[in-house]
Amino acid sequence: MKKVVLVADDSPSIRKFVAFTLSAKGFEIIPASDGMEALEKIPGGKVDLIITDLNMPNLDGFELIKSIRNNEEFKETPIIILSSLAGSDEITKGLECGANSYLIKPFDPKRIIYEVAKYLN
Amino acid sequence: MSETKQASNLLELFDKLNDLKSVFKYGEKLIPIVQSLIDFMNETVPLLENINTSITDSTSKIPKAAHQINDVTAATELATTEILDIVDMINIDIDTIEKDLKSITEKEKQKLDIILKLQNAVKDNSIALSLLQKYEELNSEYKNITTVLTALQKIKNNSYHITLSLQVQDITSQQLSAVNHLISGVQDKLATLLVDFQDTKTEEFEDRKIAAPQDAAFNPNAQYGKSGARQELANELVKSNSNNGSRTTQDEIDKIFS
Repeated sequence: MKKVVLVADDSPSIRKFVAFTLSAKGFEIIPASDGMEALEKIPGGKVDLIITDLNMPNLDGFELIKSIRNNEEFKETPIIILSSLAGSDEITKGLECGANSYLIKPFDPKRIIYEVAKYLN
Repeated sequence: MSETKQASNLLELFDKLNDLKSVFKYGEKLIPIVQSLIDFMNETVPLLENINTSITDSTSKIPKAAHQINDVTAATELATTEILDIVDMINIDIDTIEKDLKSITEKEKQKLDIILKLQNAVKDNSIALSLLQKYEELNSEYKNITTVLTALQKIKNNSYHITLSLQVQDITSQQLSAVNHLISGVQDKLATLLVDFQDTKTEEFEDRKIAAPQDAAFNPNAQYGKSGARQELANELVKSNSNNGSRTTQDEIDKIFS
């Protein structure tokens, strides 16, 4: 059974890029254009890993991660931040919110495959 | 006594007249300055009117510039996703061709194996042996497939680098959003100036305000760089946050995928 990865990013090209990088490795992708849509799309227990941007309209990545971590069901779901924010403050804040890894844009597809595989395989 | 008083009054009068004379003398000096001030004001008024017109003109053009930036962002976004789709299709096609070529190579190897066995079986029949050798020569063309497979691998690597470079679109769209944000700030300032100049109501500028795109979340410091130095900082912080995770370098990841 395919592992499911939710990708929350307001950039359609990044969503597509992540999707075709990971789907080529056998992962199923659920795209979301912002944090709010991501929260709506996380179905009961069916998401194995979440990749999220930080700068997003409606609900940003920090708030999305906090909301996910406040939900008992997704307390242990691996979360990878994928953002162009590269300052130590933002990275630390993201990790403190509950993210497991932090990748900086532009990213190497090999790195994202490696990170996803690290948590899911 | 009265003579002394009169003399004193006269002295006082002379003093006052001297003061008045000084005032007139000062006035004579002041008149050219006042005149040049009036001349300056006369020259400045048209200049201020000109500035006023320029500001009005610029304020009315700003929304158009902002819309154009939004249009550019939308167009590059569309083009990028289209290119990604095409590259994806190319990769799928290459995978199919690679699979087929590998299967052909495998079958040709098996054929060659049979020919070699046949050659051994008919080693006493010179005609049969010669025919089989010719057949083997013709069949060995499949070895060129290896070159084709190498070329396909190169195409795959290049398409991988194209997709990698396409991430520049996301970075530039964030930078363009930051520019739009700045333009919007300038427009607000100019509108405030116009309100002061023309006694215009602020509401009149509300309909000219730049409509920010809905997905206007951006990082003004977004950078397009492939050095990996910024990722290193993130790796360090992730490591110190988890304490149990081992740090992985890019070289180690490259080795896994090579």
